[in-house]
Amino acid sequence: MTYTPSRLALNGIEKSFPGIKALSGVSFEVRPGEVHGLLGENGAGKSTLLNVLSAVLSADMGEIKIDGAEVHLSSPADARAAGIAMIHQELQHIPALTVAQNLFLGRPMKRVGGLLVDRSGQERKAREILAGLDPSINPATPIHELKVAQQQIVEIARALLDDAKIIAMDEPTSSLTPSEFERLAELIAELAGKGVSIIYVSHKMDEVFRICDRATILRDGQFIDTVDMAGISQDQVIAKMVGRELQAATHRSFATEEVMMQVDGLGDGKMIRNASFEVCRGEVLGIAGLVGSGRTELLRLVAGIDRATGGKITVCGKEAALRTPRHAIASGIGLVPEERKKDGIVKSRSVAANIALPCMDRFSAGGLIKRRELHAEATELMSKMRLRPPDVQRPIGQFSGGNQQKAIIGRWLAADVDILLFDEPTRGIDIGAKSEIYDLIEELAASGKSIVVVSSELPEIIRVSDRVMVMREGEIAGTLTGSDITEEQIAALAIPKSKATGSSASAPNYEVQA
Amino acid sequence: MTAQSNVRSSGTATQQTTGRRFTVNIRDAGTLLGLILIFAVFSFLNPVFLTGANLLNILQQSSINACIALGMTFVIISGGIDLSVGPTAAISAVVGATMMAAGVPIPLALLGALLTGMACGVFSGTLVAVAGLQPFIVTLGGLSLFRALSLIVTGGNPIFGIPQEFRAVINGDLFGVPTPVVIVAIIALVLWIVLNRSPLGEYILAVGGNQEAARIAGVPVVRTKITVYVLSGGLASIAAMILIGRLGAADPTMGNLWELDAIAAAAIGGASLMGGKGSVVGTLLGAIILGALTNGLTLMNVQAFYQLLATGIIILVAMLIDRATRGAA
Repeated sequence: MTYTPSRLALNGIEKSFPGIKALSGVSFEVRPGEVHGLLGENGAGKSTLLNVLSAVLSADMGEIKIDGAEVHLSSPADARAAGIAMIHQELQHIPALTVAQNLFLGRPMKRVGGLLVDRSGQERKAREILAGLDPSINPATPIHELKVAQQQIVEIARALLDDAKIIAMDEPTSSLTPSEFERLAELIAELAGKGVSIIYVSHKMDEVFRICDRATILRDGQFIDTVDMAGISQDQVIAKMVGRELQAATHRSFATEEVMMQVDGLGDGKMIRNASFEVCRGEVLGIAGLVGSGRTELLRLVAGIDRATGGKITVCGKEAALRTPRHAIASGIGLVPEERKKDGIVKSRSVAANIALPCMDRFSAGGLIKRRELHAEATELMSKMRLRPPDVQRPIGQFSGGNQQKAIIGRWLAADVDILLFDEPTRGIDIGAKSEIYDLIEELAASGKSIVVVSSELPEIIRVSDRVMVMREGEIAGTLTGSDITEEQIAALAIPKSKATGSSASAPNYEVQA
Repeated sequence: MTAQSNVRSSGTATQQTTGRRFTVNIRDAGTLLGLILIFAVFSFLNPVFLTGANLLNILQQSSINACIALGMTFVIISGGIDLSVGPTAAISAVVGATMMAAGVPIPLALLGALLTGMACGVFSGTLVAVAGLQPFIVTLGGLSLFRALSLIVTGGNPIFGIPQEFRAVINGDLFGVPTPVVIVAIIALVLWIVLNRSPLGEYILAVGGNQEAARIAGVPVVRTKITVYVLSGGLASIAAMILIGRLGAADPTMGNLWELDAIAAAAIGGASLMGGKGSVVGTLLGAIILGALTNGLTLMNVQAFYQLLATGIIILVAMLIDRATRGAA
């Protein structure tokens, strides 16, 4: 390859937080028009690096060069002015404002000598920029009415409005459907074709290999390697990220014939209609389906979070009260929610306190918490699950996603529930921790728990499930067992009939990997 | 994981642990430092300030606000606010005083007052937790409602005839420490245990920290929320009893703007109005800071208007320091 001058060069970037060295001597460069992956497990330093790049944090040491000239970025505005745009995982806009207002947030176009905002001018300009990205987005719509994928396109438009030379995207596809991802991939290729450099952070290996030209791998805050995607395998990349070889996954079944939970005709009067299924002791039941097919809603009904309007649940032969999560827990049902931050953890409280919440009765006597017992049990549980760092007194918010997930699972083990419901158990969790979560699910099944796993990742569903139930438009479309559990069979059940008979041969909105 | 990174992560953990214990206390230590600073300034300006008698005086003057502020702290930690504490105190005082004046045995009258305050808490707590109304609005409504009730019941006139025995106890002391200070100290100790050592305390912190996560984890959210308002109402009536014991009368206009002093004490002490954070020790120190300020300025014959000015400045400075130190940590 001929020599290309770098668009962005990072040299010896260092950043420490009290007690933690988040980045030590990270150096790499990004070429013009290159899509450059940034890979590493949670805690590897990717976010810190992005924050340094967008000047949300300032580096302790090191230099940043853009087009060969060193830049000193002391505020996010500096970074924007230098041509660095950042698209965060959690999109940052004001929901009630229109697309155009969000695009021009903080630097409105003015008229009447700067006294009034030129709204029509803004909308015209917004329409111009959006035309090249997604003409279906109307600049006058309030942004919260758009789909997440479209909101993301607005963020890209905002970057283009800033004449960004470098666009950093942090997990841009975490809430996109496969077809939306395809559109984003095309868009990224177009931008790269125009010379914009893209820094692409993702946990999804397929995507990174699909989109990126090269990738830089970080581990524990250190630069490991910059690799050409063309000359390396996924396993090799993962090994560099994790620092060890991952074992090949095989599914082991511990299912018995003994029915643990029987769900009959459950419905919520809105989305879910007449859901009936059973889970046996030691069985892992996967629930697959398209986004919006009612998987999460069904789990929430079973866990007592939302009110069911009809149907009943029987656990070990006894009918369960379906009023609140507290009732569901008393019947032996616990949920590991998809959105950990929102529905899972109380981030300012310790791991031990988060574990103890459902079973305070067990950890208290005479109105006081038995702190020593709680600490001992939490420590034992968490050391089995290899919590890192192994300190249950530390606020849970300071742990990585995978470790928070371990604590939430630990919570239900401490509460000794028989049935664990997992909603997207590995969302936002890095590859190393992912296989730990799979192993944990297997161990739980082996110990006689019944497990229900909702996941959008077909390989994940296939990896963990003994049986797969497929949902379609709020109903159970079918159940697959044994060798029938394949991506093709699941997709065939998941796709609504009207669409399946349509012209498109490939499954819409569903990732069927070869 | 390699052995090397294991060693490193456990090393980090120890550092973090010590760091955290330090930060938990650092907020209270900061409030204490502020208190010491104020004491230093006043004792420099006026030699009377730092005498044993005056220090007890400050504690006694702070005790009513401290009592209210402790309840407020619990409500704030749960993610709410209780603006109705003043009128709750007034209506409890009216009930208690009426019963005493009618010759009802004192313990029974005190119980009546306490139950009145707690009933006010049940009222607000139910509207917040069950009906799902916003705490600010609910207790703003309660503020008018309870005040109106106490004015209507009394026709706006104070109730006299508080028995001497009761007044003697409240105005007396235990080993030289004024009774109100002893009462509030005991309450504070109990509440510290509740917040830091009991399931209820953990529930309150969890509900204030992340209500939805707490609900999904099986925390009895409704019960917890109602409990904090009942606690706040009960403490308001205890404060009212201390006051009528000292004054010898129950004024239906009692407790005007108490809610603001209480919120100020809690905030100076480190409670976050976002919920999930607050400290019993901090709130006590916050109440003493406000009490010391009033006391010191009065000793120096500073006009009441300027006292108000100083209070406002102290609150804002405390919040700015809080903000700045949290940013740095």
